[in-house]
Amino acid sequence: MKINLKSPFSTAVAIGVGVIVLAGYFVPAITNIRFILLRTGLVLSAVALLVGIINLLTVHIKKLGADSENSGYSLILVIALLATLVIGIIDMVQTYLSGKPNFQMTSWIFTNIQLPIETSLLAVTSVSLIYAAASILRKRMDLFSIVFFFVILLVLLGSFSIPPATLPFLQVIRNWILRVPALGGARGLLLGIALGTITTGIRILLGTDRPYGE
Amino acid sequence: MSATGFAGILVILLFVGLIAFFMFINKDRKTKNLRPIPAYEKIIKEINVAVEDGSQLHISLGRGGITGPESAAALAGLGILKQVIEKSSVCDHPPVASTGSPVISILAQDTIKGSSKAISISDNIKNPSGELIGVTPFSYAAGALSTIRDDNVSANILTGWFGNEVTWITTAGERQSSPTIAGTSQLPAQSVMYASASDPLIGEELFAGGAYLGAGKVHQASISTQDIVRWIIIFIILGSVLLNIFGIDVFFESILAGSA
Repeated sequence: MKINLKSPFSTAVAIGVGVIVLAGYFVPAITNIRFILLRTGLVLSAVALLVGIINLLTVHIKKLGADSENSGYSLILVIALLATLVIGIIDMVQTYLSGKPNFQMTSWIFTNIQLPIETSLLAVTSVSLIYAAASILRKRMDLFSIVFFFVILLVLLGSFSIPPATLPFLQVIRNWILRVPALGGARGLLLGIALGTITTGIRILLGTDRPYGE
Repeated sequence: MSATGFAGILVILLFVGLIAFFMFINKDRKTKNLRPIPAYEKIIKEINVAVEDGSQLHISLGRGGITGPESAAALAGLGILKQVIEKSSVCDHPPVASTGSPVISILAQDTIKGSSKAISISDNIKNPSGELIGVTPFSYAAGALSTIRDDNVSANILTGWFGNEVTWITTAGERQSSPTIAGTSQLPAQSVMYASASDPLIGEELFAGGAYLGAGKVHQASISTQDIVRWIIIFIILGSVLLNIFGIDVFFESILAGSA
């Protein structure tokens, strides 16, 4: 049977599940139903991850054949993905045969390959953030950008903790900035985001927004 | 039902009622009374540029799924994706979409298929993708770089859930001299976007995409509803401050506690 995501059935399921989950927050009697639906959603999300990985693999296998300067990266991705998959399966089989958890090879990959790579990328991110902050006045020379830039400077100067770089009055200014305008501004932004989130959710529940096609 | 639960239902009903009310009173109105948001004007401009010079837009939907607090940003991003695809239907190269969430990847592909069918793009080669490019923050950012560096991409639209790694994507866009329109619901990433994107979306502007890109009257009604509720919140905050200043809050607390 071909299930068309665009059918009224899928819309009815989306609205029905959404209303039950929402009502579960307010009506204690249907809290259990809400948990069942949420757990089902989480399981389906895990299945979607598998679908996404297959999609990723398919796309990069197609790129291998294309005359693209990035095909080398695609080759590395395909090899790494398949190697990790095979190693993961071997670990699972060993765990099944021995009867106790044994994911040594998978752990080795994460500890010795993924973790160092992600850590080094995090370090590069800090450099990239400094570059972004330093270049803001080049992008937009307006009042808000100037305020943004000098607030960054003040907060950084007030953050020194080793004498003689410590400047007590700057620490006071820094603390005031963090406690009053920054906190107030963050709360204001969060209130706006909350309003936007509620209206987005209501549009989904009313069926006027259908991100699963039409 | 608890008092909190009752209050929650009242808030939801208030929103639904206001949306219905504004849809009703605006049903015959042709013009939109919306304050200008430069980022959305830029999106429309970049769509026109893509149509004229045969380039394509890159829409990055972030790495948020639909089961957490990040879902609203991801769904708002999908709404913007749909509008951009519909408005760029005459482009030689339709937009390319990328995401870091498998669920949003599936929804993006479905949105793309639905929109492409609606605007009669039957050629599968011309259809844009909704590619999953990485499931961790840095793999997602690194994966997006190859799309941004494509010479045919004229602008990048980042709408969804991002972390600080978004600076990689915005900086790459800047190096390609392509404009980057960026919005998210995560505050640290918003500050990064403000500093590094050419056209940032601040706060709830991310959720206003439908109203500004012509998604329909319900989106305009949502904006009006948000404004009304915003005023209500402002009055509640100001009222609370005044009550606090004059000490009336203590009086009410005493009444509620039964000691007055």
